[in-house]
Amino acid sequence: MNNRAGLAAGALVAAVTLALPAVLDDSALAVYILLGLAAMVTVGVSLLMGYAGQVSLGQGAFYAIGAYTAALLALAGVPPLAGLAAAPVAAALSALVIGTPLLRLRGHHLAFATLAVQLILLSLAGQLEFTGGDIGLQGIPQFGVGSFEAGGAAVYAYLTWAGLALVMLVTRNVITSRPGRALRALATSETAAASSGIPVGRYKLVVFALSATFAGLAGGIYCFYTGYVAPGSFPVLISIQYIVMAVVGGLGTIWGAVVGATAITLLVQGLDRLASLPGMPTYAPSVLSYAVYALVLIVVVLFMPRGLVPAISARLAKNRKELPYR
Amino acid sequence: MSAFLTYLLNGLAVGCAIALIASGLVTIHRVTGVVNFAQGTFAVVAGLCTSSLLGLGFPHGLSEVSAVLAAGVAGLLTGLAAIGRRGTTPLSSLIVTLGVGVLAYAVEIVLWGDQPRSAPGLAGSVTLAGARIQTHYLLVIGVTAATFVLLALFFGRTYLGKALTACASNPYAARVVGIDVRRMGLLAFALGGVLGGIAGVLVTPLRPISFDTDVTLIVNGFAAAVFGALTRPVIALAGALLLGVAETMAAGYGYGSHQLEVALGLMILVMIVQASRRSAISEEPA
Repeated sequence: MNNRAGLAAGALVAAVTLALPAVLDDSALAVYILLGLAAMVTVGVSLLMGYAGQVSLGQGAFYAIGAYTAALLALAGVPPLAGLAAAPVAAALSALVIGTPLLRLRGHHLAFATLAVQLILLSLAGQLEFTGGDIGLQGIPQFGVGSFEAGGAAVYAYLTWAGLALVMLVTRNVITSRPGRALRALATSETAAASSGIPVGRYKLVVFALSATFAGLAGGIYCFYTGYVAPGSFPVLISIQYIVMAVVGGLGTIWGAVVGATAITLLVQGLDRLASLPGMPTYAPSVLSYAVYALVLIVVVLFMPRGLVPAISARLAKNRKELPYR
Repeated sequence: MSAFLTYLLNGLAVGCAIALIASGLVTIHRVTGVVNFAQGTFAVVAGLCTSSLLGLGFPHGLSEVSAVLAAGVAGLLTGLAAIGRRGTTPLSSLIVTLGVGVLAYAVEIVLWGDQPRSAPGLAGSVTLAGARIQTHYLLVIGVTAATFVLLALFFGRTYLGKALTACASNPYAARVVGIDVRRMGLLAFALGGVLGGIAGVLVTPLRPISFDTDVTLIVNGFAAAVFGALTRPVIALAGALLLGVAETMAAGYGYGSHQLEVALGLMILVMIVQASRRSAISEEPA
């Protein structure tokens, strides 16, 4: 894709993104907001899997940390904006603390360790007094700045997509910088990267913390939007869902994460509508969403390992090359 | 003292079930290099099958054996998805088995609903040195011991078992001497399914099984398997027994609400210690 076409496409996407909250009704806005939040986390997962070559099965843990941080601060009377700013910071700090010992592991060991971290956090959140136990925290005040208070879902939609734009911008700048090149080298071979003087451990930790920051920001917005958080809002399946989205879109591509999140969210929503038609059994929605996650994940990993976006752009590039010169 | 003995034997039984899951993980990982995330699923499938078959009026024994065979078939299907296609890296295979586990959720909810199910086990209890032990716990321990002996004989004494071990130690050399590595991998998956199935059949009478029990099972099984660095079944067995006894003791003496955290924390600690003792160079894929 050349630069001007890329700019035009970006402008088009931005215009559609800005216009959508004005035309969507409340239930569609809910999907739109959750889609933006999922995309935000998925960008981080994609960065971690595609560039640092590490799988995290516990990204939902950082989403939960962000949500609980913002919720606790808001309930304690701290201004919502400060609470929202604290959410990614808390997630990043816990990623640094957890990641320092954990990132000595790699491959399936790291995958299981991150899954274990999420299970431990969920179990703790369900038992501790100050996190509200299994019931969770309720009555979180609306998001607002100064005297302005977010009334409708449209405000949260803008907040979400502004957050996503920020996350994508940060990721793009990280990838195109010198550390980004180092990260790509690291994903290919840690030994080779280390021997060319790349501080492997530190870079992996930074990417881990960065992906946690994105998840924490999404969690912060989520808690203000829904007004309550509970351990049940962050099941293990949510972490798997982010991996599905990242893999479907294409690992290590920023737009791939957004495309993957959009594709999976819309697919699951469509099937949900289908499953709630009269005459369908009561278990239909959960069965269909499990089946979709599973089948999409398996088919994409086996038959389109680079994901949707790289596969399509490779096809486009090939077509363009085959055009005769005019 | 008798309470201690009860907890110890109960813990050993729980540990045995974990050990069976872990041995399935180790078998599959040794031969194919894949960590099978769907290992807990096999146990769930077998457990739910037993409860259905017994509910339909089939006799004990027949129900259990068919359930274990069903788990073996599930293992084979998982293997076909995970390593059936050439050029799938172990990490991709892990993600595929993750997908298989989630797919199994859908199938299990359709077939069995989302409520936990149980099955009657061996009734009665015996008194041993003043401690009352349910007979079923002794059955679990006995079956696990027999299974491990059979596994050791299979890997050490039969051509098929040695072929599997050959694939584990050097797939290229195994191919050179005419062993079909892919078929051996599928065999390992089927064997892993059977082992997981035995665990599921034994556990169902002890604690009810529902479609999402597999996460607890796989995490405990993986924790035990990492003790043996995912390659040594006997150390995995020791790890599983330790884990089972520690969890049951914690529950018995009043720290029950934290047993999951203890087990998971222990697993992370073991992995980190192991990782720090390994050199990075030996891990690099060729």
